[in-house]
Amino acid sequence: MTAETLTATRVRPLDRFPLGPRHLITPAAVCVALLALYAWVSTLELDSIEQRSLNSSVLLAKTVEHLEMALAATALVVVIAIPLGVLASRARNRVAATVILTLGNLGQAVPSIGLLVLCTFIMGVGFRTALVGLVAYAVLPVLRNTMVGVQQVDPALIEAARGMGMTRGQVLRRVELKLAVPTILAGLRTALVLTVGVATLGAFVAAGGYGELIINGLKLNRVPVTVVGGVLTACIAFLLDWLGGLAEDLLKPRGM
Amino acid sequence: MSFGEYVTSRWDTISLAAAEHALAVAIAIALATVIGVGAGIIGHHSPRVREMSIAAAAAILTVPSLALLTLLIPLTGLGWKSTLLALTVYALLPIIRNTVTGLSGLDAATVEAGRGMGLTRARLLLKVQLPLAWPLILTGIRVSTQMVIGIAAIAAFVDGPGLGNQIFEGLSRLGSVNSLNATLAGTLGIVVIAVLFDLFFSAVRHLTTPRGLRVRP
Repeated sequence: MTAETLTATRVRPLDRFPLGPRHLITPAAVCVALLALYAWVSTLELDSIEQRSLNSSVLLAKTVEHLEMALAATALVVVIAIPLGVLASRARNRVAATVILTLGNLGQAVPSIGLLVLCTFIMGVGFRTALVGLVAYAVLPVLRNTMVGVQQVDPALIEAARGMGMTRGQVLRRVELKLAVPTILAGLRTALVLTVGVATLGAFVAAGGYGELIINGLKLNRVPVTVVGGVLTACIAFLLDWLGGLAEDLLKPRGM
Repeated sequence: MSFGEYVTSRWDTISLAAAEHALAVAIAIALATVIGVGAGIIGHHSPRVREMSIAAAAAILTVPSLALLTLLIPLTGLGWKSTLLALTVYALLPIIRNTVTGLSGLDAATVEAGRGMGLTRARLLLKVQLPLAWPLILTGIRVSTQMVIGIAAIAAFVDGPGLGNQIFEGLSRLGSVNSLNATLAGTLGIVVIAVLFDLFFSAVRHLTTPRGLRVRP
């Protein structure tokens, strides 16, 4: 099975910048979608309610809010989940690892909107609440991937590194973490896409973002506003997923 | 009113919402299983179809659920139809991927042996390939179910069925009596549904795994 997967993965050319035509599909599709959206909206006669949402300053502000929410949450997730994942992967923390895995599986079942609203009861509405909800939601996948990534490193390699006279810290930094990079990055990419999606729900707790367009459009019965919000959210999710994919390809250790 | 009192006094509403939640998830998963396993069976022969179906399903999963649900309103309206459609397409990726992995990961010698015994392609698929790939396919269905149960909560915003309604009720009456209880009832109810579905799937897995595969190393 392993040998098969190894040969099945595409053989990358060894150039420094592995950017093929495959990598350009997503941005091209996003551009087309945005242009189509712009063309469609500009054919409409917007009434005053729609104009109040669909102008460049509001859209820009919503974009900034949305990105701020998603990126801040992802950054916090990195700071929290990766060290914890490494800690949990140490041999003496077996119990913690099992607990984290079980919590991770159960936590997936907690609906994001429920989590956000429950956070509101504790901290009130606003950006900070949305941030806490997002982080709580995205921490588990990254934590789990970090743990699994570090644990699956071949023990023989660690043994070899120890034999070469590396200290435990050096083994962790130079061998284990390096080899776990692809798994950790995959987890981060998932977390990024998750947070961009859940950040639309941030609007329910008055944290702004594209969700506000979607919700306002629905409440005021203005379909264009909702559609613009929805398409922009989808586009930004695709773009961030694409960037995550690029980062995975570029940051992968050379030997793998 | 304590949480316990709230649940007992609103038991009719909550149990109906929970039943609808589970029903919506069950229908969507059934549809996604038929479509996903079908796509997987067609796709595992040709790499191109396989890559395209997986890429399409992955792209759908990237679209945030609130965005997809609201974008569906002009097409399928508010309520059940949009909910079911969105849940079904979200459930596809794990099912397709696991079907393809399960079918193409089979021991070539086993398939060859079946062929040598004179099985037609269809019988080979039904008697050999699908049963052997079944545990992996079932895992895909299980992962999809867990994911879709959470997404179904958001469907309440587009007037869909389910326990999400309790959560949104709590949100819209933030600070008033019972708002916390409603939110808790919705959230915990969904977790309970997720656990029950998971138990159901482990029972199904136990009952339907071919006997030859049941021996664990």
